[in-house]
Amino acid sequence: MRCDSPLFTAERVSCTVPSPDGDRTVFAGLSFAIGRGEIVDLVGPSGSGKSSLLTAFARLNPHASGSFALDGRDAGSFTPQRWRREVAYLPQKPILPGETVADAIRLPFTLAVRADARDDGRRGGLVGRFARLFRDDAAAARDMLPDARIRETLDAMGCGDIDLTRRPHDLSGGQAARVSLARTLLTGPQVLLADEVDAGLDDGNAAKVASIMAYAAGRGMAIVRIRHRPPDGRASRVATLADGALAWADAAERATGATDGKETA
Amino acid sequence: MSGNAYDIDIWGLAVAMAMVAVAAGVSGLMRMGIGRSLLWSACRALLQLCAMGFVVGYVIRADNVFLVFATIGVMLVAAVQITLSRAKGVPKGLAGPVLLSLTITMLLMIALVTELVVRPHPWYAPQLVVPLTGMLLGNTVSALAVGLSRFYESMDERRDEIDTMLALGATAWEAARPSIVSSIRLGLLPTMATLASCGIVTIPGMMAGQVIAGGDPLEAAKYQFVVFAAIAALTLVADGLIMAMTYRTCFTEADQFRPRDMRGVR
Repeated sequence: MRCDSPLFTAERVSCTVPSPDGDRTVFAGLSFAIGRGEIVDLVGPSGSGKSSLLTAFARLNPHASGSFALDGRDAGSFTPQRWRREVAYLPQKPILPGETVADAIRLPFTLAVRADARDDGRRGGLVGRFARLFRDDAAAARDMLPDARIRETLDAMGCGDIDLTRRPHDLSGGQAARVSLARTLLTGPQVLLADEVDAGLDDGNAAKVASIMAYAAGRGMAIVRIRHRPPDGRASRVATLADGALAWADAAERATGATDGKETA
Repeated sequence: MSGNAYDIDIWGLAVAMAMVAVAAGVSGLMRMGIGRSLLWSACRALLQLCAMGFVVGYVIRADNVFLVFATIGVMLVAAVQITLSRAKGVPKGLAGPVLLSLTITMLLMIALVTELVVRPHPWYAPQLVVPLTGMLLGNTVSALAVGLSRFYESMDERRDEIDTMLALGATAWEAARPSIVSSIRLGLLPTMATLASCGIVTIPGMMAGQVIAGGDPLEAAKYQFVVFAAIAALTLVADGLIMAMTYRTCFTEADQFRPRDMRGVR
């Protein structure tokens, strides 16, 4: 790990899952670091725990433990919600709740963790606070993220083919994956943990997804990608997770020696 | 037992039992396979109702405040047991929250309906408090059982959605809210259906009882409305309380989703 001043660090990361015949350790004592604007690929055989590692980074994995820091600040000093706002995990399966694509993209902005800025003026009494428990603030979310801005961002990401008024259910697999990615990118996390976002996409869509991420990395976002595809030249380093251990390689080294086939299992 | 305008004698019970026996016989001929359990349920109902009649009769004659509340206590404990046995797929350790939400609802019922609306003498009038509590518990028990089952089922169905919402920074409450709302709605559905249809198609049991016993139908209707209104409102309260107390069982301390196999489902 040769990051001089890493943005995100993880140490002593372990994951133990219960199984019928005793607990099974997926990995233990792993370290990881990534710098601003860097893209790191995470590869390894199926079942080696790549997704568990990324959900552990986002503090979403109830079976994992470890100490994490963002920009030198320990994860314990963040609430889970604030941590996940900065260290965003993007699941493999795109889940887009809402009536329209625009609603699905605005979902993160209906959440309390992003309401701090807009809540100041209207703390309200007991009744107001109780009512807010049951109301997702769609109107406020529209103010924070108007349709025009979503359109602009989608176009900049090469998603001009996606109509905001469509039902998310009617999107193709590739479109849904890109909308899900756009939703997370629009929330502006510092670290993006992308879990095989390009799996099941054709080469054209996979290339689109890769260039969207490269664009975000160019603006300072640190990105970890789980991938099963052959290297696409976007990552600066490659980490291989196998048998509970992480092995690092420069992307250039790996591109020449990547014919052992193990990583593409 | 001479309060009724028309008493039922032992032959009356025998005729009712014979009707069930005939129905069971017919279902046996049709090979529906429910004849035996129909008969058994009818026998159980007869015994349980008669026992209830004796107990309530004794409590009313004794006219003792402690006895009234002891009876209510027993009813509450039984209600908790029935709720938990009917609710499917719920984790262990819900007896406390269920008891608490039933107790709060029951106290509200006594405070509002008995002491504010009816104002009996003495204030704990057993012939009012015990049947009212029974009706309220009957309704809340099924609402809670339906609501709890639906909540955990919905949380498991929405697993991917919940994981996505948490990853986007949702709190446990925000991620669980759609399941909470849908389970409360489902729990309240029968109550609202009864409210809307009573008086047109059905004469509700309580009003029918008062009319048969020779009471003024308009008085009976007023009583029935107060009881229905209170039950509808308090069922919502009970469902809301139980959800507020239990939704966190689906999450860890660090607001991570706790799947079914980590919850210790009974």
